[in-house]
Amino acid sequence: MSEMDRLFRRRGPLRAVSTDGSATDELASLLRAAGRGDEVAFRGFYRSVVRLVYGTVLRVVRDPAIAEEVTQEVFVELWRLAPRFDGSKGSARGWTATVAHRRAVDRVRSEQARRDRDERDAQQSAVAYDSVSEEVTDNLDRVRVRAALDSLSDTQREAVSLAYYGGHTYREVASLLDIAEGTAKTRIRDGLIKLRDIMGVTP
Amino acid sequence: MTSDLHHLAAAYALDALDDQERIAFEAHYPRCEICSAEVHDYRETAAFLAGAEAADPPADMEARVMEAIGRVRQIPPIVPDRVVELADRRAARTRRASIGAAATAIVIAVVGFAVALRDSGVGSDIEAVFEAPDAVVTSLDGDGGTIQVIWSQERDQVALVGTGLANPGAGRTYALWFLLDEGVAPAGLFAPDRDGVVRAVIDVDDIDGGGFGVTVEPDGGSPQPTGPVLYAGTV
Repeated sequence: MSEMDRLFRRRGPLRAVSTDGSATDELASLLRAAGRGDEVAFRGFYRSVVRLVYGTVLRVVRDPAIAEEVTQEVFVELWRLAPRFDGSKGSARGWTATVAHRRAVDRVRSEQARRDRDERDAQQSAVAYDSVSEEVTDNLDRVRVRAALDSLSDTQREAVSLAYYGGHTYREVASLLDIAEGTAKTRIRDGLIKLRDIMGVTP
Repeated sequence: MTSDLHHLAAAYALDALDDQERIAFEAHYPRCEICSAEVHDYRETAAFLAGAEAADPPADMEARVMEAIGRVRQIPPIVPDRVVELADRRAARTRRASIGAAATAIVIAVVGFAVALRDSGVGSDIEAVFEAPDAVVTSLDGDGGTIQVIWSQERDQVALVGTGLANPGAGRTYALWFLLDEGVAPAGLFAPDRDGVVRAVIDVDDIDGGGFGVTVEPDGGSPQPTGPVLYAGTV
C-alpha cells in the first residue's frame, strides 16, 4: 500500500458526491431552478462545475480551442436538459460529468472517423495514461483520486485511464494493449469497482 | 458481438462502448435493476475521475455560455402518463399475442390521432398493422417526443406513430433499428412532418428483435448507427 493510499484510507471513505466541500444539495437545487428557466441559477451552477467540465473535456480532446467549443456545447446541453434532471437517479455532479464526458468522446470519435475517411491516416492517438500521477497539485480531489488510482493494479489503472481519459472504447483499449476484448472489459470493470469502493460511492 | 449486456455497465459509464453496444445497453439497463444500480455507481465514480482533471476555462467562457443558453429552448419535463403506462404494460403482457381492440383504441388515443388515422391512407395501413393478431406495441422513450412502434412479425411490418420529434436537419433522416442481443439491425427510415409528427408503415425484414432504437442518420441511411440514440424501448 502506498503512502498516499494509507493517508487516504485514514481519512475514511468519501461522501458520494461532493469533493470540493460545496453542498451537494445546493448544486442539485441550482440545477432544478435552472430547469424552470432560471438563468441566474444556471449561472451559479455554471460557476460550480465549469472547472470540472472544462478540465474533463480538455483532457479528452486535448486541443484547447476544441475544448472551449465542446465545453460551450456541454453547457448548452445541460441547460436544455435541465428540466429532465432527476436527483433520485444520480447526483447533479455525476450527471454533469456524464454529459461532459459523453460530448467530449463524441467529438474525438467523430473527428477520428472523419480523419480515417479523409486521409486513411490511421494515426495512433498518443495517450499519456499515466499523466494523472504526474500532476502535482494540492487539489484535494486530485489527491484523493490519485490515491485511489494508485491502489489499482497497473493493468486496471491503464485500462480505466485509456477508456476514460483517452476516450477509447474497450475494444480500442484491447487493441492498444494487445489483450483480448473480454480482458479489457474485465480490467475496466474491476478497476471501477475498486475505485467505487475506495471513493465510497453509495446508491 | 457476443457480449452479455449485463457486463457492460462499467464500460458504458466510461463511454467506452461502441455505438451498437451502447444502443443495445441503453435499451436494456433502465429496466434492469442490477444494471441501473451499477450505472449509477459507476457514473458517480467517473465523476471523481472527471473532478481530478478540473482546470480553469478561458475567462470569457461564462459570458459566451450565458449568451448561448438565452437562445436555447429547454426540453419539457417528463410528465408521468398513466395511459401510456397502461398501454405499455398491456403490450408487455400480450407480447406476441393479440392486443385486442381495447388496447388498440388506447394506443391510438394516447398518440391522439384517432381521427387523422381514419382519414388518411397511412392511417388505415397503421390500423392494419395494429389489428394483426401478433401485433406488439412498444413505447420508445426519448427526449422531446413520443414514438409508439407497432410491430407485426407476421406482416413483416412496423407502424410508427409519434409526436414532438425534432427536425432531423437538412440531408438527414430518422432511422429505426431493431435491438438484438448481439447488436442492432436496420429496420428502416422515416421522417416527421413540419409539426414533428410521424405516421408511417415500414416493411421490415423478418428479425426477432428485443426492442427498437432511433437515431438520426444521413439521408439514405447508414449500415450501422452513427448518431446518438434518441429514442429506445424494449419489446
